[in-house]
Amino acid sequence: MKVVVANRGEIAVRIIRACREMGVATVAVYSDCDRDARHVREADQAIHLGPSPASESYLRIDKIIEAARLTGADAVHPGYGFLAENAAFAQACTDAGLTFIGPSAEAIRLMGSKTAARAVAIKAGVPVVPGTEQPFNADATAEEITSAAAAVGFPLVVKAVAGGGGKGMRTVEKPGDLLNAIRTARSEAGSAFGDSAVYLERRILQPRHIEIQLLGDTHGTVIPFVERECSIQRRHQKVVEESPSMAVTPEIRRRMAGAAAAVARTVGYSNAGTIEFLLDADGSFYFLEMNTRLQVEHPVTEMVTSIDLVHWQIRIARGERLDIDPEAALTPKGHAIECRIYAEDPDLGFMPSPGLIRGLRPASGPGIRDDGGVGVGYTVPVFYDSMIAKLVAWGGSRAEAIARMARALTEYQVLGIRTTIPFFLWLMRQPSYAAGEYDTTYLDRLLAERRGESFSELDGADEELATIAAALDAYMRASAQAGAQGAGSNMTRWKQGARHEALRG
Amino acid sequence: MTFEIDINGRTRSVSIERGEPGRFRVTLDGTHHEVDAVRVGVHGLSLLLDGTERVSREVQVTPATVRGELLVTLAGRTVAATVNGRRTGRAGADGGSGAHGEQPVVAPMPGRVLRVLVSPGDEVTARQGVVVVEAMKMENELRSPKAGRIKDVSVTAGTLVEAGRVLLVVE
Repeated sequence: MKVVVANRGEIAVRIIRACREMGVATVAVYSDCDRDARHVREADQAIHLGPSPASESYLRIDKIIEAARLTGADAVHPGYGFLAENAAFAQACTDAGLTFIGPSAEAIRLMGSKTAARAVAIKAGVPVVPGTEQPFNADATAEEITSAAAAVGFPLVVKAVAGGGGKGMRTVEKPGDLLNAIRTARSEAGSAFGDSAVYLERRILQPRHIEIQLLGDTHGTVIPFVERECSIQRRHQKVVEESPSMAVTPEIRRRMAGAAAAVARTVGYSNAGTIEFLLDADGSFYFLEMNTRLQVEHPVTEMVTSIDLVHWQIRIARGERLDIDPEAALTPKGHAIECRIYAEDPDLGFMPSPGLIRGLRPASGPGIRDDGGVGVGYTVPVFYDSMIAKLVAWGGSRAEAIARMARALTEYQVLGIRTTIPFFLWLMRQPSYAAGEYDTTYLDRLLAERRGESFSELDGADEELATIAAALDAYMRASAQAGAQGAGSNMTRWKQGARHEALRG
Repeated sequence: MTFEIDINGRTRSVSIERGEPGRFRVTLDGTHHEVDAVRVGVHGLSLLLDGTERVSREVQVTPATVRGELLVTLAGRTVAATVNGRRTGRAGADGGSGAHGEQPVVAPMPGRVLRVLVSPGDEVTARQGVVVVEAMKMENELRSPKAGRIKDVSVTAGTLVEAGRVLLVVE
């Protein structure tokens, strides 16, 4: 088997690692700005796709199929993002005789439409959040939208039908804000997904975002896993994930896993997928959507179950039968936490901070896993998502996992650019986070309470230390420069002396 | 040798004298510190502080993407520093409090201006959103570094901007 990894960054590296462990050859693909990227260097072969914008490289189905043809590859792993949930891409792979390491194009198409996915969940007997069953037409009148919204009730959420990652999504508290929210959601969805259709959903108050990972083989077996807790979100983007959730009892876990498996079986789902639920404070839960791909946060599941999900994706794609003990998949051993490290400046409102990485020392040691995607000397480009690594900590208990994460964050060095490491260190030290008392609105509320203090706030001693270090650095550089100039003039004198000697002789 | 170091909006004078090999006598605001310092790699410093106590700290000092600015990283935290005033301006970093005089709002990364939320003459509060720039597929709201009045606005919706470009000035 030879796999084209149709992605970049940490997930491409993650997939290449799994392939190498299984003796599977890999082909990386890359854009102009990624020639020196880590995934290119770690793959067995690498094919150039085109210019840096994703629409001219990582989103070019034709060029990726061509890369497979050129290298004699027989399979394609899409990772997440880019073409991972593009049914036309899965179909194009199949049509070209390539194995798509993921679900069928039909399952992607069906579950990729949020409104169709809701219908599937209803058919499977799984509760859904009240909302509009059909997206609005592009020419829907203000009256149509307003009356549909009144039927759903406020507060509500405007969501892109093709959405994901919080893009094309807006919370609306009162009717007056509705039309504006629809307009921005449509424009964001249009530019992010090429599909500006949106629909409405009731907002559950104080919900937790809990999701169930599952694997399905091509012989009809579906295995659900212990839940992931993804409620730590900033503007609807997950930033910290955990497994298990403190809010999920074994009884809720069984019901949720059963519901997730029922949805997957209804569409004959195979390979890795995730069902997202909203969990209400009273223990009731609602189907939110299905992600028909490997998730960013899959490592926390791997850490608490010791099951390698990417290995299984490849084995399932080869036609193997799942032989995982369902109880082992549902029973967490210890606790795992993941922090998504972004090239963003948390002290500037999480502004992207692309640029040259001048130094990199990932954290390591007991219970730590670093899924990194960059290296020293690499310039984080402006063209793609700014996540540069995922740091995962495992502990026998949640408290131990938090302590390990905090320890690892103090070790992790990414030099030259700003990252979200100081923010995560701050979060790990918040008593409310340690207590596990949060829902999807927690982080935005916590951040809103801040008055612009730096996440890298230093006490007096540390501020002195930083000041002394900056001065010593300048002093040593000045001395080294003076030394180099001194050596240069010595050399000149030595040369003059030698010349003088020669003339004399 | 004496340096003016600016960290967290606070400028302090640091003088350094070389002692035994690897030893430095550092004077910070009149207080003396005995520092044992060695380079670790290109950007790292291992410091053993204050003579007999030998407190061990590792610090990284790295040039930032903004010219003239340094990033000082210690134990998971990173702050910006400048040496002898070599600073070209950094929007919003100081928050509202200590910012005086004219302050530019600069684009921290290349992108496209989506919306300009203020006009010349508008009164703004510290950290109020003033310009929205699209970069890395996200809309980023740039905020005013201080309370004041908008002076020059040099961009409009649609303008493509480079990192470091001054978008407007708050006085």
